[in-house]
Amino acid sequence: MSERVQAALRERLEDLFGAGTRVARAALLGGGASMEAWAVDAETPRGPLPLLLRRAAGGRIYREALSLAQEFRVLQAAWEAGVLVPRPYRHFPDVAGREAFLMERLPGETVGRRIVQKPELAEARAALPAQMAEQLARIHALDRARLDFLPGARDEAPLQRSLDALEAQLDAASEPHPAIELGLLRLRRDLPRDGRRSVCHGDFRVGNLLVGPAGLTGVLDWEFAHVGDPREDLAWPLVRAWRFGREQLRLGGLAQPDAFLDRYAELTGLRVSLEELRVFELLGNVRWAIGALTQARRHLSGEERSVELAVLGRLAAEVEHELLSLLGEGGA
Amino acid sequence: MPDRPSAAELADAVREFLEAEALPAATDPRLRFRLLVAANALSILKRDLDLGEELLREEIALLRPLAGAPPPGTPREQALALSAELSRRIRRGDVPRGTLEALRRIAELKLRVASPRYLERG
Repeated sequence: MSERVQAALRERLEDLFGAGTRVARAALLGGGASMEAWAVDAETPRGPLPLLLRRAAGGRIYREALSLAQEFRVLQAAWEAGVLVPRPYRHFPDVAGREAFLMERLPGETVGRRIVQKPELAEARAALPAQMAEQLARIHALDRARLDFLPGARDEAPLQRSLDALEAQLDAASEPHPAIELGLLRLRRDLPRDGRRSVCHGDFRVGNLLVGPAGLTGVLDWEFAHVGDPREDLAWPLVRAWRFGREQLRLGGLAQPDAFLDRYAELTGLRVSLEELRVFELLGNVRWAIGALTQARRHLSGEERSVELAVLGRLAAEVEHELLSLLGEGGA
Repeated sequence: MPDRPSAAELADAVREFLEAEALPAATDPRLRFRLLVAANALSILKRDLDLGEELLREEIALLRPLAGAPPPGTPREQALALSAELSRRIRRGDVPRGTLEALRRIAELKLRVASPRYLERG
């Protein structure tokens, strides 16, 4: 397969980077049943160029995820607006039989546990809260009209729409979870109806951020981008599942969220209090609890057999426990 | 079947094999990660075999006052039926008094099988 991908790329890379460009290496980094990631080392007339190819893997894509063509367009818009993302090069309808797009391959760490714990990343951890706020401010300022294909783009009340979608996903898991129902009920009551709408990343958290010694170098994994309430994105990196063993530091195991929220308010004029964020943190936990059950169903249904996905069905109990704690703090 | 090793003992044997023999021999980071996940899955299996029945009975006892008498069936079927009934009630906005506390205790029961260390981390 590696040879076929390499051969398919050669011509396209010459077209992109000039005659004489060749593919020195194309190695499959990993991926699941729906998506592959290839590290591609190109030799261009101007020197070596590290690239990353995201390519469909043939299996069924997550229902909620963007297509590769759409993800590429979002990445382009983000790149042009100065969001820290790998430079997108081109979308290809067919690379050795499957859709793909090519982008820059940036150096850095993505593994959450290492970002949160490695001693040599201490400086990065201190810088990350403000840097994360800066990137979110830019993402939330992206032009919605240009990305009118995003889920939620035509909805007046994207939060209500998300709740309906979550409920449908929970029903599709066909297993009763009264704890999650209780979370959904509270969200129906308490989520604001002030109709804020912006382009949201949809999965902005430690684990999907590329981090170097001085902090954030890239925002990755855009397949859940949508039009929604910007506070969804602000609360998602607080969800306990992404604190990687440093539970007391509520912003992704890095810090308390204050500096992050302050910087975001400075840049956008939208000041979100910790109290206001609480209901969005509940939303994040409800979303991840249902996400974990849904992933386990991918295994159980045979769509993607994987011990990792299977175990998530049981680990959803951690998220249920957390969402019940948040419900308790808010008064019963 | 009373023959040994019991189901729980077999789960332990496979987990020990993964941890003591397969893991040290694996170099690929993705494979190592999956081996750890697989070993964890076997720990869950063993705890479920040891505690599952008892915890299901506790779960049923906690759900009864909130969702009525369970239909006849195995403990697993009864817990599922009561849980489904409580879910329906909550979905239509009817939350019986004591629901939050009962669900917290049920989450703790599930975690005793799925992730006992999560409870210790507090």
